[in-house]
Amino acid sequence: MKKIMLLLGVFLVIITSCEKDDYCIKNPVTPHLIVRFYDDSNKETLKGVDELYVWAAEKDSIFSNVKTDSISLPLNSNATKTVYYFSNGTTVDSFTISYTPKEEFVSRSCGFKMTFEEVSFSSDSFWIKNFTPTTLTTIDSQNAAHVQIYH
Amino acid sequence: MQLMFKYITSICFLFFVVKGYTQNQQKEISIDSKTDSVVYKTNYGLRLGVDISKPIMSQFNSTYGGFELVGDYRLSKTFYAAIEVGFEEETTLEDFTNSTSKGNYIRLGFNVNAYKNWLDMNNEIFVGYRYGFSLFDQTLNSYVPNVNTTYFPANTILTPLTTNDLTAHWSELVFGFRAETFKNFFISVSGSYKILMNIKDPENFKTLYAPGFNRIFESGTGFGFNYTLTYLIPFQKK
Repeated sequence: MKKIMLLLGVFLVIITSCEKDDYCIKNPVTPHLIVRFYDDSNKETLKGVDELYVWAAEKDSIFSNVKTDSISLPLNSNATKTVYYFSNGTTVDSFTISYTPKEEFVSRSCGFKMTFEEVSFSSDSFWIKNFTPTTLTTIDSQNAAHVQIYH
Repeated sequence: MQLMFKYITSICFLFFVVKGYTQNQQKEISIDSKTDSVVYKTNYGLRLGVDISKPIMSQFNSTYGGFELVGDYRLSKTFYAAIEVGFEEETTLEDFTNSTSKGNYIRLGFNVNAYKNWLDMNNEIFVGYRYGFSLFDQTLNSYVPNVNTTYFPANTILTPLTTNDLTAHWSELVFGFRAETFKNFFISVSGSYKILMNIKDPENFKTLYAPGFNRIFESGTGFGFNYTLTYLIPFQKK
């Protein structure tokens, strides 16, 4: 009887020693929009913006005075469009992304991710000369740039 | 690290105890067999009982509720047919989801007693196999999409979404101990390792917990624990 009780104790220790064993290591879960900046006169060449400011409508800046040719922007999953403002220090262009957000289950630890379908882009053209593509069927990963901006 | 240490120590402890136990018994058998040629008869019959670990866990854990009836029938000296039926309800809290599984299950199989009893004692160290089947509902109570940004935080969705009539089939290997504490009254402790054979998942979600199976790990495996009190209704002695 004593031995059985002892064994029981051992089993209880083993059972209670279990703890959370899986962590979400997938990064990112929900894809961001990847934008790359190219030279308008030579469309094959990356051309960084020397003084880039980016903010969404009614929000603080997400990028402030950075020199880069590639940015990643989160999309608002609670709405069907996100409006960003791109400034090169002197002029401001609005850049609108319209989409249908969809939830997709990933795993126990990562939960649900958002994918964005039927994506379309539109923009003012003060300093942004052009961009491509104008539509995308889906944004479900960020392995490659989603949109190229020529300036 | 400390948990790991606790874990290893307790495993060492387990083997230490088992070894001490068996050696003790063997010595006594060898002394006795020289002088005694009487064949000791033991009871055969139907053994019924409950798993008391589940109601106890329900008391201490507000996210769990369960009840299980167990039974076995002795077919030969070492072979027992075994059955377990039960009900379980568990709420799984994860970082991004909160879901509840609720339903009934049945496990059918057998135990083989590997322990050689002394005289007319009726204790067991057993190994066994079970086939398990569970019929349950899973409700996604709430979730928040994992958007990995604070710039546009996601809203928590609080509309519960229930999927009915989910099923799970699995196999499990059982290892345990059983001791007769009073006449025909047994206490048993056992653990099991479960391997999922088939499962119906909800659409665009996953079954995170199946009644009778417990938490479903990424690899489709699981662990179980039973602490049962049973009473043997003897039919015959042989």
